[in-house]
Formats: sequence, C-alpha cells, structure tokens
Amino acid sequence: MGVSKTKQPLRKRGGKARSEERRFAFLFVMPALLLVVVFRIVPLIWGFVLSLTDARGVTEGAFIGFDNYAELARDPAFHDSMANTILLIATLPIWIMVPMLLAILIHQGVPGGKFYRAVYFFPATLSSVIVGSIFNVLLRNDGQLNQFLELFGIGAIDWLGNSNTALLSLIAVQLWATFGMSLLIFLAGLSTVPSDMIEAAKLEGASMLQTFWHVIIPTLRPIIEFVAVVTTIGVLTNMFGLIYVLTAGGPGTSTTLPEFLIWIELGRMNRPGYAAAISMVLFVLMAGIAYAQVRIMSRNVNV
Amino acid sequence: MSNISITDLRKSYGQVEVIHGVSLDIEPGEFVVFVGPSGCGKSTLLRMIAGLEDITDGDLEIGGTLMNDVEPAQRGIAMVFQSYALYPHMTVADNMSFGLRMAHAPKDEIDRKVKDAARILQLEPLLDRKPAALSGGQRQRVAIGRAIVRDPDVFLFDEPLSNLDAELRVEMRVQIAKLHRTLSNTMIYVTHDQTEAMTLADRIVVLRAGHIEQVGTPIELYEDPDNAFVAGFIGSPRMNFLNARANGPKSVEVAGRTIPLPNLTADLRDGTALQLGIRPEHLDATDGVRLMMDVDVAEDLGATTFVHGTVGGETLVAERRAHVGNAVRELEICFAPDKVRLFDPDGARVR
Ligand SMILES: Nc1ncnc2c1ncn2[C@@H]1O[C@H](COP(=O)(O)OP(=O)(O)OP(=O)(O)O)[C@@H](O)[C@H]1O
Ligand SMILES: [Mg+2]
Repeated sequence: MGVSKTKQPLRKRGGKARSEERRFAFLFVMPALLLVVVFRIVPLIWGFVLSLTDARGVTEGAFIGFDNYAELARDPAFHDSMANTILLIATLPIWIMVPMLLAILIHQGVPGGKFYRAVYFFPATLSSVIVGSIFNVLLRNDGQLNQFLELFGIGAIDWLGNSNTALLSLIAVQLWATFGMSLLIFLAGLSTVPSDMIEAAKLEGASMLQTFWHVIIPTLRPIIEFVAVVTTIGVLTNMFGLIYVLTAGGPGTSTTLPEFLIWIELGRMNRPGYAAAISMVLFVLMAGIAYAQVRIMSRNVNV
Repeated sequence: MSNISITDLRKSYGQVEVIHGVSLDIEPGEFVVFVGPSGCGKSTLLRMIAGLEDITDGDLEIGGTLMNDVEPAQRGIAMVFQSYALYPHMTVADNMSFGLRMAHAPKDEIDRKVKDAARILQLEPLLDRKPAALSGGQRQRVAIGRAIVRDPDVFLFDEPLSNLDAELRVEMRVQIAKLHRTLSNTMIYVTHDQTEAMTLADRIVVLRAGHIEQVGTPIELYEDPDNAFVAGFIGSPRMNFLNARANGPKSVEVAGRTIPLPNLTADLRDGTALQLGIRPEHLDATDGVRLMMDVDVAEDLGATTFVHGTVGGETLVAERRAHVGNAVRELEICFAPDKVRLFDPDGARVR
C-alpha cells in the first residue's frame, strides 16, 4: 500500500563515477562492517576451529579433525538434548498464537486493555533467576499450584521433578516470562493495520473471525515471521538461566537443551573443544530454522 | 435504487457534539454531494449512514426501513474510501469478490459479477495483479469495482479522488459521472472540492460545523446562495466580498460609489452595514457599474486571466477572458447590478 509510483532512479552512469561512488559508500559501511566481523564472524570462525581440537581447560588442544562431531553423533546426552529441542520447537505455534491473540483482543479495545498490556509485559522485565525462583516455589510438590489443583481433587504432581512434565513446565514458565515482548511487537504491528481496511471488510459483511483470518492476519504476516524467528532464537539460546535455576537439566537429561549441554561440557567437564562442536551444531540448526521460516512465510507475501 | 431519509441526525463524541441535527431527504437514483471545509462533519455524516459510526440521536431510513441499529453489511450500501482500503495481499479479482466469498456465494455468480464490474471499469487486464502493482487511478477503480460487485442500493464515496493528481482526478470524475448514468443508483459523495461538487451533483449539501447551510442544485447554489458562506464556497475563484453601506432603499455605497440595486425585494434601511458579493467572472460586463481597480498581480492561465487588486482599499479578484499583461496598473471593472448578491454582516442573504 502507500506510495504507488516510485520512479526507478537512473542507474546507468559513467563506470568511473560509479566505482568512485561505491568506494565512498564502502567508507560509510566500514565501521558497522568492522564491528560485525570482529564481534560476530571472527568468534564464529574461532569457535569452529576450536571445535576441531581436543582443547581441555587452558591447554591448547591438538587438531583432531571432526572427531568431536563424530563423538556428538554417539553421545546419548546430545541425542536427548536434540529430542528436547524438537519438542520445544514443536510448541512454537503456541509461542506465536498466544501473544498474537491477546494482542488482537487488546487492540480490539477490551476493557482494561492497557492494564493487561502492562501486566503481560511485566515478567519480561524480570531476570530469569527471579522467574526461576518464583516458579521453584509455585511448582514445588507442596507448592501453590498443587494446592490449587487439590481443590479439584487432582493429586499433587512433581512438575519439575518428573521427567514427563519437567520440560513442559519449563516451557510454560519461559512462555509466561517472555510472551509479553512478542505481545508488544504484535500490538505495534496491529496499529499499522489500516482501520479503513477493517471497516471495508465490515461493510462487506465479513464476520469478526473472517476479518481476522482473511484481513488482519495476512497483514500481520511480516510481524508473525519476525516474532517466529526471534522466538525460535530466544528459546534456543535464552533458556539457560531458567534451566539452571529450575531443573539443572534434569531429571536425567529430560530438560537438557543444547545450550545447557554446552555449559556442562565447558564448565563442568572442561572440554571447550567438544562444547564448541555443540555450539556449531546449534548455530547451524538455528540458521537453518530461521532461513526455513523466512522462506515459508515470504513465499506468498509480496506486499 | 433507494431513497434515504435523515431526520434530525446527531452525533456526539463524549460531550462534544459534532453533527447538530441534520435533516435531509435523498431521492432514489439521486447523486448527492456533501461539501464543506475540513472538519465540518462530512465524513462523520457519511459514516453514520454507512453504519461505521453510531448514531447518537435522530433517525436514518434507507428504502423506508429504520437503519439506526442495522449492521453496515445489511444496509444495502457500499463505500469507497479515500485511501482505497484495498486488501494488499489479495489480487484485484479477490479484492473485488471478497464480500461475496465471505458470504459463500456460488462460484459462477462471483465470476460473473467480477467480470461485469471489471468490464465496466476496464479492469480486465489487471484482475490477477496485487494492489501494490497498480497506479493510484487503477486502485481507485478497483475500490469502485469492489463496491459495484456488491450490487448496492446506495454508493457512498468519501473523498475518493483526493489522493489522485489533478489530471487523473478529472478523468475519474468523468468515470464516476458515467457510472452514475449507467447504474443509476443513489450515490452520496463527500468532497471538499467545489468543482467535483458542481460537476457531479444532482444536489449539493453544503455543510459547516455540523450544520447544513444550504441544499440545492449546483446552479441554485451558484445563483441564489442563502448566505455568504455558501456564496463563498461555491464557485472558483471565490466570490468577492466588499464592505457596503445602504444609502437608499434600493442602493448601496461601495468604495465611494453608489450602486443601484433595482432587483432587491427588501427595502434597505439607510446606513445599514452590508456585504456586497460579486463573482470574479461577473466583473467583465460591457455595461453596468464601472469601477477602477488598482492591479497587484495578474495571473495569466492562457484562456483566462485572474487579476488581483484593490478597489478603495478592498481586495478583489476579477476574471478576464483575455491576456492582460503584467504592466497593467489599473483596470476598469464593470458589472451588472443583477449579478450582485447582498449579505448582512452576519452573512445572511438580503434578497
Ligand atoms: N473519533 C472522534 N472523536 C472526537 N472527535 C471527532 C472524532 N472523529 C471526528 N471528530 C470531529 O468531528 C468533526 C467532523 O469530522 P469529520 O471527519 O467528519 O470532518 P470532515 O468534514 O470529513 O473533514 P475532512 O474534509 O478533513 O475529511 C471534526 O471536528 C473532528 O474533530
Ligand atoms: Mg473526511
């Protein structure tokens, strides 16, 4: 929408002037480029090199080729962490739908919308250690949640101590703690949906649900895509604090995610080389997922 | 086709009333234009008819049915928005058929209606495009097509042409006029462009600050305005207003000159302050009252020249169907007394 006829700037100019212009432009891009290279690319390469060594602690490791990766392929802890990751990613639609639906409701002007917005966002300002401590208490065997469930005659469940529920509890807590941010992003996105488009749909007899599905959600697509990518990266890289405080990866490996495994291998086992190999796998995984998401979402959007 | 009847319609936002009791009857098939300055309530009135704004008080009937609380989609109306309000992710065809698809109309009916509308508006080659790939004028035609597909009794337009450039605006204006002739539906059209109002309307409704100032055919409003506001709003360039003073029952004095007004029905009281209105295009008469004008600027548009200047300290615009040239410092203007419109200091017409 919006601007209609943007005139294509004249591209063809003298070759010399162009290359000069390019050099000049490069000068402006330089500082940012330098930062990216120094703080992103170099560590990435360094990490990859590290993953090809058997470095232990402070000693510089010897080059061992892809042995670390071969070991990964046989490591049951790593397998479990991957299985947990898949389960985590499978819950992604919830991570997107919950804030989106709540944002739509707030945007529609439910009474007290501003209050809800603040309340939903509040946990996002808490450190994961605090969130973890709160839920440690709430989810304990004699915690408030179990006391509450008992009112309905449901027996106590050891939410964090049972390998069937630990990961799901962890996911629920992380969702609670972070969906406020996505909600705000959706609210910002919704405020850009032109109101007369929605009015036009109303005039044409579209029901509320049809308007959501056929008008609002397609318009929000770029936002959904953004939230999906950011959330994926978030759950794969930002759950360490919560795991550490709530379950320490257990019981067994039931809440061990690759990120946590990296820390175990690095901090406890003192194997930076092996940890670096896991990091590389995690990196490739995230890049792959992000790429796939962007591709899927942008396939039929050319707004 | 459907008649619309509005009775003492009011709209308040909280404590603030913005439409102060508007009453209007619109005949079936009539093309009615709401004009008025920005913020006068044109859009609000139109949106109340559409059902997009609640009616605070008063009655709205369409086709004899009270519509105050009827859902917008059930009112038999279709609306074209200033911003076009097209769905950016849908093709032109899908945009046009949206309402029918949501109502689960049969596919062949949808196809037929979209084809018909596309033919009327010359949109056939564009049906598979997305709005982003259309020009402003084409988008506007799609928005109109979407309205046509709904086969409404009443078309509502809210400043549909104001996002287009001047040339395209003229073209689309003609298209809309043609459309009205082809479909002969009732149409209500909001604009603040008096040219659009004059050229399109069967009847013009002039609004100011939530009140109707006057309703009439374009010629009625042009020739016989009820007040200085309407007189100034209709016609371009706007009517000149000069301070005048009655110096006889049928004559006024302007800039030291006595102007006899034999056609006046009322008798003026000596010494009353008045406003004398005379249109720029009427200052080129061959005989009548002659005045000398001190020229400030002459705007030559080729076919006509608008001469800006002063008469006895009062600013004035005169139209000339000839080149005047920039060197001219003084110009004789001449007008027939029957072209003069008199207003009292509050702006009410003195006939
Ligand atoms: N939601 C609102 N709350 C309060 N006042 C409003 C609201 N919407 C419109 N108004 C007021 O109502 C009046 C009429 O507005 P409206 O949009 O109908 O004007 P308009 O004649 O269409 O003007 P324009 O030519 O600029 O479109 C304005 O004074 C405006 O400030
Ligand atoms: Mg308006």
